[in-house]
This record gives sequence, C-alpha cells and structure tokens, in this order.
Amino acid sequence: MVLFGKIALGIVGTAVAGLGLLCSEGLIEVKVVERAPEVHHLYVIAPAMLAPIGMHFAPRRDLSHAAAEIKPWLPTIRAALEQLRDTDDVTLVEVREPGEHVRVSKEGGSIVVDVEDQDDTVHVSTPIRAISSTIEQLAAAGPST
Amino acid sequence: MRKRLCGLGMICVLAGLVVTAPAAMATPTERYLHVKVEDASKGESVNVNVPLSMAEKILPTINKNNIHNGHVTIGHADMNDVDIRALLDAVRTAPDNEFVTVKGKDQDVRVAKSNGNLVVHVRDAAKGGQKVDITIPMKVVDALLSTAKDNELDISAAIRALGDAGDALLVTVEDASEHFRIWVDSKGSPE
Repeated sequence: MVLFGKIALGIVGTAVAGLGLLCSEGLIEVKVVERAPEVHHLYVIAPAMLAPIGMHFAPRRDLSHAAAEIKPWLPTIRAALEQLRDTDDVTLVEVREPGEHVRVSKEGGSIVVDVEDQDDTVHVSTPIRAISSTIEQLAAAGPST
Repeated sequence: MRKRLCGLGMICVLAGLVVTAPAAMATPTERYLHVKVEDASKGESVNVNVPLSMAEKILPTINKNNIHNGHVTIGHADMNDVDIRALLDAVRTAPDNEFVTVKGKDQDVRVAKSNGNLVVHVRDAAKGGQKVDITIPMKVVDALLSTAKDNELDISAAIRALGDAGDALLVTVEDASEHFRIWVDSKGSPE
C-alpha cells in the first residue's frame, strides 16, 4: 500500500514538474468569435513553450528562407523584445475605422493583439519570452556564417 | 533621559529612511513618443505609442540605407545643396529671434527661436486652411549635432535628449478634416 502511495506520489510529482516546466514560458491564448455567417466561438490556451519546441522540430529546409530574411533584423528584434520586457504596459498601436478596431499592446509579459470588426473578434496573447525563444530557434535554422 | 531621546531620534531617522528610500530608489518614469492621426471625415484614427527607451535601444541596431548605429547620414545632394548641419548649428548658436517671416496672400510662414525651442509655424489657406506647428527643443538640436562627423546627425542622442526634456507637443498638422500630432509625455496611452 505504501509502495503504491509512493509510486502515485512520484507520478503526480513528475506530472506537476512537467506541467510547470511546460508552462514556464507562460501561455498563448487565442480567442476567436465569428459572428457571420454563423456564430462560432474558439478558445485555445496552450503552453507558450510549445512554439519554440515546434520550431526546433520543423524541417530546417522549410525554415531556412525565413531565417535568412530575418537575420539582418535579429539585433533589432532582440533589442525591441528586451526593451518590451522591461517597459511598462503600453498600447503600441491602435487603429480605429468605422466597424473596425485593431489594437497591439504590451500587457504584463505578453504582446496582445485585439482585432474587432463587424464579422469577427480575435484576441491573441503571446508571452514575450516565447516570442524571443521562437525567434532564436528560427535564427538557428538559418545557414551558419 | 538623554539616552531615550537619542533612541527616539534614531527611530525617527530610520522611519524617515524607510519612507523616503523607495521614492529615491524608484526608477525614472518611462517616457513615450506618441503619434496620432485622425481623419474626422472618414471616422478613422491611428495611434502609435513608442517608449523612448525602446527607440533609443533599437535605433543603434538599425543599419540600413542612411541610418547606421543611431546616426543618419545626410548628403548635400539629398538636401538640394543645403548644409543642414551648418544651418542647425547657426540656429543653435543664435540668440532668440525671428529668422524667417513670410506673409503671403495664401500662406504665412514663421521660423523663430524662442524660449529654448526652434519654432516653425505655417498657415496655408490654399490647402484648406492647413496649419503646421513644429516645436523642437534646442537641447534636441544640440544632441542631433553632437556627432563628430560633418555629414551625420545623431538620432539616438536626440531621442535621449527628448526623453530628458519635459512634456512637449512637437508637431501638429491640422486642416479641415485631418489632425496629425507628435508629442512626448509619460503616459502610456494618449489622452
């Protein structure tokens, strides 16, 4: 009985540790509400660490073009993300048109994009740390110089 | 009695330190460059808010076209043979004065240096009464010229100087329906 208890404790402990590790880079949140032609709700919440992990396993030849494109801008992207991490919460860009509203902001440790028009509402929140890791994985996929 | 007073004094000093230390150690307030474009006739508006510290860190990483390491290279050919650096330096060293005043039938132009600012006003009746007002703190002009090279302006230093200057409305352009503004303050969102 004690043995089963220890095994169960081990399994639960490992699961909790694994979950903690998986969520260590925060969570990506995607919310889509489609109003036309039919009403659909989509809500996805996933560990942000999956993005760089997925990038790691993606075929290199498929990423090399994107990696080459992004390479000249890497120092700029790194500096921007580093500063975004440190800065206070801020609305970076907001565009309003009749029937449309787009907002890109920094909230907590995440970049949040909200788009609202007559047909859809989209909300995407991505941790800055996950964006950094994904960009680094993408850069690593390029040809080394 | 003296010992008690000493002890009380020490407690007061410590309490004062505890109360004032966080304020003294507080990080300087973030400052933002705001750009706002509004078109009342179309009901459209665009707001861009950039933390100045971010702009200051990003600029030196951009090396494209005329921008290198936070400096912008200006060729005489780009400015119709006007030496923009010499022009800014002349304005910088001149006392407060009206440099240019043009009053036309449709257009008024005024360029002046006033209260530590370079001020440009343009009124253009031909363009639907368009009004342009530009106010640049001279500290920013000084910073622009702080680079040693003759054909460069130091944009990074100018942004730093802009951060050190107080809240300022830098550019406004208004006509019948459109309203364009650039300003600096310490609010993360406009208004």
